[in-house]
Amino acid sequence: MTSESLDAFVNNLETYGKIYGPVKTGESCSFQEISQSKEMALNYSRTMIPPKKFFLKLKERMFIFDERECEYEETLEDGKIVVFGIHPCDIYALKLMDKIYLDKNPDKYYQMRRENATLIGYSCHPDEYCFCQSQGTNYAVDGFDLFLHELKDKFLVRIGSEKGNKIASENSKFFMDVESSDIQEFREAEGKREKEFTLKLAINGLTDMLALSYESDVWKEYADKCFGCGSCNLVCPTCRCYDVVDNVNMDLKSGERQRMLNSCMLKKHGLVYGGKNFRPTRVERLRNRFNCKGSLREDMMNCVGCGRCTVYCPSKIDYVEVLRRVRGEL
Amino acid sequence: MAKPKIGIYGLTGCGGDQLMILNLENELLDLLRNVEIVAFQEASSVQQDEEVDIAFVEGSVSTELDLERLKDVRKRSRMLIAIGDCAIGGCVQAMRNQEMTMKEKMEEVYGKGEEYFKVLEPYGLSKYVNVDLELQGCPIETTEIRQVFLSLLHGDTPEIKDYPVCVECKLNEYQCLLVDKGMPCLGPIIAAGCNARCPGLGIDCVGCRGPIMNETNAAEELHTLLEKGYDERYIENRLRFFGANFEGILKLSKMLREKTGGARGK
Ligand code: SF4
Ligand code: SF4
Ligand code: SF4
Ligand code: SF4
Repeated sequence: MTSESLDAFVNNLETYGKIYGPVKTGESCSFQEISQSKEMALNYSRTMIPPKKFFLKLKERMFIFDERECEYEETLEDGKIVVFGIHPCDIYALKLMDKIYLDKNPDKYYQMRRENATLIGYSCHPDEYCFCQSQGTNYAVDGFDLFLHELKDKFLVRIGSEKGNKIASENSKFFMDVESSDIQEFREAEGKREKEFTLKLAINGLTDMLALSYESDVWKEYADKCFGCGSCNLVCPTCRCYDVVDNVNMDLKSGERQRMLNSCMLKKHGLVYGGKNFRPTRVERLRNRFNCKGSLREDMMNCVGCGRCTVYCPSKIDYVEVLRRVRGEL
Repeated sequence: MAKPKIGIYGLTGCGGDQLMILNLENELLDLLRNVEIVAFQEASSVQQDEEVDIAFVEGSVSTELDLERLKDVRKRSRMLIAIGDCAIGGCVQAMRNQEMTMKEKMEEVYGKGEEYFKVLEPYGLSKYVNVDLELQGCPIETTEIRQVFLSLLHGDTPEIKDYPVCVECKLNEYQCLLVDKGMPCLGPIIAAGCNARCPGLGIDCVGCRGPIMNETNAAEELHTLLEKGYDERYIENRLRFFGANFEGILKLSKMLREKTGGARGK
């Protein structure tokens, strides 16, 4: 596809739902609804809040209830969306979220939104906080409908699903066959990109290293710096914990159930009935967080190397630095 | 079931927390259907000093009279809820605690030799009596006090937000003023509940809801803001404005005082 066709192509995606793309908001970026491709900042590094927010909402009402009738009514909104411009790490993160929210006992809310969404990936260049290469998540093989690789004056477009194939055929007037010179350009661009990564983390055996470092002083040292503010979890594309609260109405009989994202860095996360807490101190919470991120979900690590937790930590706790300390490399 | 009896009392404070209850305006009458209010200092001249199921107490203990009244209310109530920062940590009244004596403060304000009140160094209620629940805020939020009423009436434990303002920034997708703009935001150590009102308006948090109980990493807030180029005394004042009596901030102040040998500018 030529670069000039982008505008018209994005417009045509409207048939697949409201279009969301990375938009500059102050110093940060955020996935917001757009009406034209030029509203997007497609050369963005990362959004503060990952695209996970479309599927597992930051906060939402789940249902309203009435105790008198023993009834409840789900308040699912059902709208189709296109998420344009997702980077490979975030695509991997959604694949991980799918394992949690769709396999075995699917979460209705997540499932419905996931089915309603079209994902269009977009190529990126790493900054000093990206370590997706180390996590093996810097090139998305699947998990998207279409993926656009930006070349000099065109895009190389990969098709990742049947829906992607359908979109491509409906928009065939924008697409040209791939020439051998395109392949050459793509190969060179990818080769160059591989060399742009400066931040590295050795992940082999990391899970074991973490388990063996249970008593390490590293946890105390960083816990002293940590605010327990939860930002690291709330900006993480693979964090999946949520909290549920019931709000009753004045009649004391009816009300609503809400859920919102939660964080294992908060005191209440480990609180159980009877006032006991699994992780009363920040040392325990910080260690838990790193152990969770460094553990495996089937064949995938629970971190995709997006760098958000480091960037948005008010105390500048560096994710990679902590793990390198744990490994004894620093 | 008989309606629970409620008493709403004020010690030393601005009356803002009681006002926030009155601000429930549209729902007050509905609420009254479910409770019996026997005392409401700011709303009614009728004050029955009888036993209550729940006492809401606003204001700090700053005089001997406050202390007497608090002890009396505690004796008469099954559950005592501190509303507002004054009743929890002394709030702005405690700003200069430990820095100067009450005598010095009185002299500075009222002149030498005058003794209008029997004053005490301002503290929250829990220094003197058992407190069952603390609702932070300067003032408290109407939405919160409403939820506390409803939860208790429904038989639930009210949800107290004991996590930082940062959480609400993230849930609202507000840009981080500290990280992105280097503003001296206290959000990481301040209790949420305001729905990150100030950062949402582009203003850094000054901590009006007070520090988070037993979680305040004041030393790191100082360190973070020093790194961003703010002055030590400015940061300390900012921390003490609403939180001078909180453990982490007390410790920090003491450490800073020792470092400078007690010689502090105003
Ligand atoms: S742990 Fe940090 S780097 Fe890893 S996915 Fe989460 S936010 Fe990104
Ligand atoms: S973002 Fe930083 S300060 Fe906040 S909880 Fe995470 S590690 Fe701690
Ligand atoms: S703006 Fe302040 S309260 Fe909000 S996330 Fe940043 S530091 Fe926390
Ligand atoms: S100063 Fe802080 S705690 Fe107070 S309303 Fe503003 S953001 Fe909330």
